[in-house]
Amino acid sequence: MIKIQLVDDEPNILSALKRLLRPQGWDVHTYETVESALQGLLEHDYAVIVSDYQMPTADGVTYLQFAKQRQPDAMRLVLSAYGDRNSMIKAINQAEVYRYLSKPWDEYEVVAAIKSAIDLYELKTENRRLIAEIQAQRQMLWAREQELLRLESENPGITRVKRDTDGSVLISDQ
Amino acid sequence: MPNTESSVPEQEKLNERLEQANRQLLQSEKMAAIGQLAAGVAHEINNPVGYVYSNLQSLESYLSDLFRLTDAVDSAASIDDLRAIKQNIDYDFLREDLNDLLAESREGIERVKTIISAMKDFSHIEEEEFKPADLHRGIETTLNLVNNELKYKAEITKEFTDIPQVECIISQINQVVMNLLINAAHAIDNFGRITIRTCHQQDKVIIEVEDTGKGITQDNLNRIFEPFFTTKPIGKGTGLGLSLSFNIIEKHNGHIEVNSVPGEGTCFRITLPASQPPGKTDSKTDHGRI
Repeated sequence: MIKIQLVDDEPNILSALKRLLRPQGWDVHTYETVESALQGLLEHDYAVIVSDYQMPTADGVTYLQFAKQRQPDAMRLVLSAYGDRNSMIKAINQAEVYRYLSKPWDEYEVVAAIKSAIDLYELKTENRRLIAEIQAQRQMLWAREQELLRLESENPGITRVKRDTDGSVLISDQ
Repeated sequence: MPNTESSVPEQEKLNERLEQANRQLLQSEKMAAIGQLAAGVAHEINNPVGYVYSNLQSLESYLSDLFRLTDAVDSAASIDDLRAIKQNIDYDFLREDLNDLLAESREGIERVKTIISAMKDFSHIEEEEFKPADLHRGIETTLNLVNNELKYKAEITKEFTDIPQVECIISQINQVVMNLLINAAHAIDNFGRITIRTCHQQDKVIIEVEDTGKGITQDNLNRIFEPFFTTKPIGKGTGLGLSLSFNIIEKHNGHIEVNSVPGEGTCFRITLPASQPPGKTDSKTDHGRI
C-alpha cells in the first residue's frame, strides 16, 4: 500500500488533508512535530512526504533534507502559507522538492500533485528493481560463461561437440 | 531680550508644526510596523483559511454521498438496498467526521476573526484620548497580531495578576507592547522564552516583557531610545520603535526601564499611573510631546 507522510504543526491542517486524501485509499500518516516525523521515517517507507514550511524547532526544508537522506526515493512536497522567494529557492535547491504547494489549496491541485509524485516514486522503485534484476541476470550469464571457458581450457573442443537431431554425439575423423 | 514679544506667536506656530510632524511620525511608524507584520499576518490567516477551504470541499463530497442515500429512499426497491448504500458511503465515518469537520472549520474562522479585529484595534487612528482600559485585553490583542512573529522563536508565558484599569490611550500602549515583543523575538537566535508580566503597586501598574535573547551591550544600552538607532539589518527595523515607545510612555506620565545581561536576556519594564493627573489628559496639547 502506498504510504503518505504529512507533517504540519497545525493539527487542523492535518485532519483537513486527511479528509481530502481519504477517497484515494492511500495509507496517510500525520505528524505534528518534526521529531515524531523523523521517528516515522524509521518505521515506514513513504512514497510521498508533504511538509509545512514554517514549523517550530525546524523548518520544513530542513526536515525534508533529513528525509532525503533517510529515504531518497520518497517524493518531497512543501505545502506552505509563506510563499516568499527565499523559502521557495531553499526548498528547490536544498531539499529538491518535487512540488511547492501553497495554502490555501485546491483539492484537485493537492491530489494531482501527490498522484503524479506517486507515479514518479513507482517509476523510480520499478527502475531500481529492474536494474537489480538485470544485474542478477548478468551475474548469472557471466558465471555460465566462465564455466564454459574453464571446461574448454581443460578439455579443448568440449564446448563445440556436434550432435545430430536426436542428440547423439557425432564423431568425425579428421 | 528685544524680540520676545514678536517671537511668541512665531514660537507657537513652530510648536504646532512640530506637534503635527510628531503625530505623523507616530502614525507612520505604526503603519511601518503593520507593514512589517503583513507577511506574518498573511501566513497566520492562510493557515486557517487553508483548512477551512479544504474542509468545505470535503463537506461537498460528504454531502453528495449523503444525498445519494436520501435520494435512494424514493427509488430503492427494498430496505436492503438502502442499507447497502449506507454501508457503501461509510455512513458511520461521515457522521462522526462531520462533527469534527464543522468544529475545526468554526475554530479556523474564529481565528481569522480574531486576527482581523486585532489589526483593526491596532490601527485605530481616531482613538486618541485617554480612557480607562483593560491592559490585559490590549496585550492579548497585540499577541494575536504578532503571534506569527513569536511562535517560531519563543514560548510565550503570561504572568498576569489582577490589575486595575489604566487611564491611557490603549492603541498607543498596544504599540509599545508590540515593539517590545517583536524586539524580544528578534533578540532570540534559536528558540527561547518571552515572559509578559503585569502587576500593580499602589496606584502604579507595571508591565514587564522579558526575553532570553542575546541581550544588549552596555554601549548600545545607552542609545536604544535614540531615534533611528537600530542594530537590526536593513528592512527589519526602522530604529524608531523604542524611541517612540519612550515618548508614548512619557506622555502617559510613566516610565520605561531596561535591564539587560548580554548572553542571558533583556527585561523591559513599563510603569504607568493608573489614572492621569488632572489637566494632563487633554490629548490635543499633549501630542506635542510625542
